[in-house]
Amino acid sequence: MTEYKIEAIKTFDYEKSVIDKGYANKTLLVDISNSDISIHPVTEKMKEVFIGGKGFDLWLLWNAVKGTTKWSDPENAICIASGPMGGTPVYPGSGKSIVTTISPLTGTVIDSNVGGYFGPYLKFAGFDALQIRGKTKTDIVILIDGIDEKIQIFETSGLPDDSYALSSTLTEHFAQGKPRNISVVSTGPGAKHALMGCLNFTWYDLKRKRARYKQAGRGGIGSVFADKCIKAVVARWDRVSVKTNNPSDGIALKEVGKKHSREIVDLDPKQNEMAKIGTTHLVTIMNDFDLLPTNNFQYGQHPEADNVGQEVYRRIFDTGYDGCWMGCTVACSHGVKDFVPLTGPYRGEKVFVDGPEYETIAGCGSNLGVFDPHTIIEMNFYCDAYGLDTISVGTSIAFAMECFSMDLINETHTGGINLSFGNRAAALEIVHQMAQGEGFGHIVGRGVREMKSIFARDYKADLNIMQDIGMEAKGLEFSEYMTKESLAQQGGYGLALKGAQHDEAWLIFLDMVHNFMPSFEQKAEALHWFPMFRTWFGLCGLCKLPWNDIIPEDNKDTQEPAKVMKHVEWYTQYYTAVTGRHTTPDGLIRMSEAVYNFQRIFNLKMGFGTREHDNIPYRAMGPVKPVEYESRPERYDKELVEKHHVDITDMSTEEKIRTLRKFRETQYEQLKDAVYKRRGWTSNGIPTIDTVTRLGIDFPEVLELLNAKLGDDQG
Amino acid sequence: MIRVNGKRQFWYEGMTIKDLLEDLEDSHHYAVIRINDKHVSRPYFEKTLIPDNSEVFLISLIAGG
Repeated sequence: MTEYKIEAIKTFDYEKSVIDKGYANKTLLVDISNSDISIHPVTEKMKEVFIGGKGFDLWLLWNAVKGTTKWSDPENAICIASGPMGGTPVYPGSGKSIVTTISPLTGTVIDSNVGGYFGPYLKFAGFDALQIRGKTKTDIVILIDGIDEKIQIFETSGLPDDSYALSSTLTEHFAQGKPRNISVVSTGPGAKHALMGCLNFTWYDLKRKRARYKQAGRGGIGSVFADKCIKAVVARWDRVSVKTNNPSDGIALKEVGKKHSREIVDLDPKQNEMAKIGTTHLVTIMNDFDLLPTNNFQYGQHPEADNVGQEVYRRIFDTGYDGCWMGCTVACSHGVKDFVPLTGPYRGEKVFVDGPEYETIAGCGSNLGVFDPHTIIEMNFYCDAYGLDTISVGTSIAFAMECFSMDLINETHTGGINLSFGNRAAALEIVHQMAQGEGFGHIVGRGVREMKSIFARDYKADLNIMQDIGMEAKGLEFSEYMTKESLAQQGGYGLALKGAQHDEAWLIFLDMVHNFMPSFEQKAEALHWFPMFRTWFGLCGLCKLPWNDIIPEDNKDTQEPAKVMKHVEWYTQYYTAVTGRHTTPDGLIRMSEAVYNFQRIFNLKMGFGTREHDNIPYRAMGPVKPVEYESRPERYDKELVEKHHVDITDMSTEEKIRTLRKFRETQYEQLKDAVYKRRGWTSNGIPTIDTVTRLGIDFPEVLELLNAKLGDDQG
Repeated sequence: MIRVNGKRQFWYEGMTIKDLLEDLEDSHHYAVIRINDKHVSRPYFEKTLIPDNSEVFLISLIAGG
């Protein structure tokens, strides 16, 4: 290992807050431009309106940036927060952090949730949220040391560039013999050169004696981090117990936490075995239902999908406990031990790979026409080590591959790389180039939206067809689900605040397979309730997997099985036991509604957030090319004839595509109308004054912004 | 004999998943069935045979993402 230097340039001593009912009641601001460190109070109003986690992040970011702020401006902040329940070891899935910033991909606010120990350690060190502003020209590391009660900024040189080695080095450096006391947030060289940089958050694996990591992947937060010249942020904290979070009612908390934990231990082995195979069970299931994105979302199925499904990863994953937070019984963060990459700087060396999960298998596998688990694991390893989001990487390479297959680009543009679907070596080479900021990989690293502009401007590629097949919304690449046959999931992607990510609403099965929501109004109701409830997890420092990935055996007999209301009730008890504030299932939704609408208004502040920004590419709605239509002709012909009463007797495939497109695009616009109405927004997608008043977010600057926007609409 | 969600159930040669579900009132809830370690999705219920002595789990699969 090369020698490195790490020298403190600022030390700030502080007195740690006593945690009270899940809150430290302080936030930490580090301005790295001038090494200024300050501590700020959390007001009761902040807790009442924004709850914590993403809510606190958004409020801090809102006050940090102007409407004109760009992602690389010094005033852009990176905010990290857990939430009032974050750091509870007795309740499964209680170690999440939420990160927000202005995204280089979307130009507006992005949020990304992540496991690992950082968020809870930050809170126990005395801070509900961390805000980092400013920029430096030399590499720095920030330490938040809750044991010795000091914040330090270090100038560094010679530290490893890649996140895999860096997180390990810094864990050892700061551990003082106790590596479990350390959590490192870092990124890698890819984030420096691409717009889709991720952040890696570590948790220390006692059994394997190594720092492992989870990713805040979406929206290029790692790119902002790297642009600020931050090598890492490190949190240090000691032992954690239920008492550390000082809940209002520890007995009630233990009771409900044990119930949920025990149920998972009992039922996960009978359901999807997430403690053994993580989310890999989804690969073959998605494939069976024609939902596994293949060759840039053209198809939903491939005969080789079994090669990258659960049976393979069941054999490959290293066995043992894989919880990214202490005591979590879902424990789905599996990894591959002694993996030997065939390419790149770690070629021939044994490494530990954290993953892959479903999204990476689909994004860096099937969507590229790659059905080789070794290549997928290698893509996973290098994306993490380079600090790149596997979803955006996968969807961006898939787009470039389809452009290559359609001769929109060719080898003169790719630097001689044959970007045909299924070319495993080419996909890996693009990732290595992204990390170096070289070659065609540098262009792919700009993301789908910018690639479309570059290909049209510099290579004279047809922009219209690229708009149809370029899978991004609001500038964020789609995550890995086919939506052509689920109108509700089209809305789940298109109406999501941050762009095309499924974490707000994953309705494919409920809509398409179970047909729980046949009408527009039912879809709109689902696109209200599910985004709100899922948002709530991000306010509290929680993972959503325990809610509905393992479900009670009698759930199907309940009135609303999709909502898993037994668990929702448990979450109300959990919230009350920690915070001392009584709540109900409707109360949880109401908490989220305020933050959700505030984020929509934040988009407005940044120049987005109206109806036109909720559009999705036509590939997400239906077949763009004849080859897609003709791969499922019965399905599309049947819809034209039986649903829309079209006489298709003498129609060519192209004519059928055009006709179907009109119907499906009209449906999507009708869905927007229904959802906006349900959410209390205008037909242009803007929250009304009544809505923000009802939700208690009618701050003067919000009203000023809304009045101007609503006035523009009327004018 | 097989076990379905932990309960013993009669088995016969040639029994498919579709056959099994036909005897249940709430079969429409199940999009995926697990036979031992293998998940089988609804499009394959009709042609998938259940081996004797299998452990069968009925899964609604409403989650994901």
